[in-house]
Amino acid sequence: MRKYFSTFLMRWKMETQYRGAALGGIICQMVFGLILISVYRALYMGNPQSMPLSAIVTYVWLQQAFFRMLLSSDNDLMDKIRTGGIAYEMCRPVSLYGYYYARIMAMKLMGSLLRAVPMLVLASLLPEGWGIGAPASVPALLLALMGLALGLFCMCALENITMGITMRTIDFKGFQALLNLLMTTFSGNILPLTLFPDAWQRVVRLLPYAQLLDAPIRLYTGETPLHQAGQVFLIQGIWLCIFVGIGLYLWKRNTRKMIVQGG
Amino acid sequence: MNTLKLYLHSMKVLLKSQMQYPFSFCLQTLAQIVMEAGEMLAVLLIVNRFQALNQWTGGDLLFFFGMMSISFYLTECFGRGITGNFAALIRSGNLDTFFLRPRGIMTQVLCHAIDPRRIGCIAVGVAALVLGCQQSQVQWNGMKIFLFTEAIFFGMLLILGLFLIEAVFAVHSVKSIELVNAVTYGGRSACQYPIDAYPGPLRVLFGTLAPFALVLQVPSAVILGKPLLGIDGVAAFLCPLSGLVFFVIMYFVFQKAMKFYRSTGS
Repeated sequence: MRKYFSTFLMRWKMETQYRGAALGGIICQMVFGLILISVYRALYMGNPQSMPLSAIVTYVWLQQAFFRMLLSSDNDLMDKIRTGGIAYEMCRPVSLYGYYYARIMAMKLMGSLLRAVPMLVLASLLPEGWGIGAPASVPALLLALMGLALGLFCMCALENITMGITMRTIDFKGFQALLNLLMTTFSGNILPLTLFPDAWQRVVRLLPYAQLLDAPIRLYTGETPLHQAGQVFLIQGIWLCIFVGIGLYLWKRNTRKMIVQGG
Repeated sequence: MNTLKLYLHSMKVLLKSQMQYPFSFCLQTLAQIVMEAGEMLAVLLIVNRFQALNQWTGGDLLFFFGMMSISFYLTECFGRGITGNFAALIRSGNLDTFFLRPRGIMTQVLCHAIDPRRIGCIAVGVAALVLGCQQSQVQWNGMKIFLFTEAIFFGMLLILGLFLIEAVFAVHSVKSIELVNAVTYGGRSACQYPIDAYPGPLRVLFGTLAPFALVLQVPSAVILGKPLLGIDGVAAFLCPLSGLVFFVIMYFVFQKAMKFYRSTGS
């Protein structure tokens, strides 16, 4: 366990090196957030919904703040697969799956925290109706954080599956793009899932994409009441088990029958 | 004319090289279609829930969305040399070779890449446009077709000009600047919706500094028969020219920046 943890720490330190890039990212994401909120404000003006506007605004800010967690991130491994460098990775005295799981986790967590913390501070300073709202209650905030952690574990496992497929097909852009696009639509990044038609929501909320951000955001805004938090965690846990299972199986098969591409 | 011939020839050669991997091409194009369809789905779902945005009906919103995605992705397809990874050209030192050849830098940059997968996104844009026309019952005539073509063409120039900002920064910083995405991709996201939905500062940004509204939305609104910001008649035909102005300014800034270009030496 310790070796995976130190992998995580190493990657974590590396991510903190790019603070300048993070600043650009923050401003960019703030502009995107303001654009989306303006549209929803205008839409609400003409046709108010049962869901309060402030909940939508909070939803948008949280989505923008943790946007980076959605992106698939580990290009190093993709390169290694393409150039054959993966052969060296096999020499490491660790489980490859665990090693990359820790790396991806560190990249996603640090990459998004560097952006999220200043963004959320800025978003909370904005005037009423534009800025992020407070959590429904203190327990709701804690449960949301727990949900976010579980969701992050899910996403890393999902990404490891894409990598597993990449190892077999070499062409990664196609699968990566396919995975990403379902992600931005069904994670609520383009349009909050709370604005999807109610019948769709029942299904979309169960999909793995909704687990990373949508589920914790609903806990934060209090849309999912506290006593239902158990259910949310259960769904997240089930997906996590399924993904880790598939991923481990794929990687194990791949490492047993690896075809190394010439570099 | 010679330059144009050169450009078309390069596009043909590049296209041929990309088509050597048909399976990969199909898969990636499919991914592009689904991605853009996701964006279109968002518009459809918004219409489903809210019916209208100010005076704009669902059909109108689809039309605006279609205009934006057609011109944006046409640019990404044919202007890939600039909209793609220009910073990588500098970082790898490949730009150096361009200085040795007897052609303009801009010509060569544009000639060295194409992205045919964007055809998927363009197809979704066309679908949205057609659907929008049907729902809003647009009556096409010669004038409107001219205005449409003009808007798309100058829209492409404007978008190319905006990506040139990033290229100019890259000359100085070597890395690409994420910040510029706020006007390029941000502009695309924002101006999928008519600009009168936005508060003052954003209107100024996308109405004058990065004039998506003048180039794409004013003509769209006239085609839909609901003039935007009260601009109608001859003025509507003149507005898209701001895209040309923007491009010409950025072209000279780019040329100027090239004078300061220093090879990274790798």
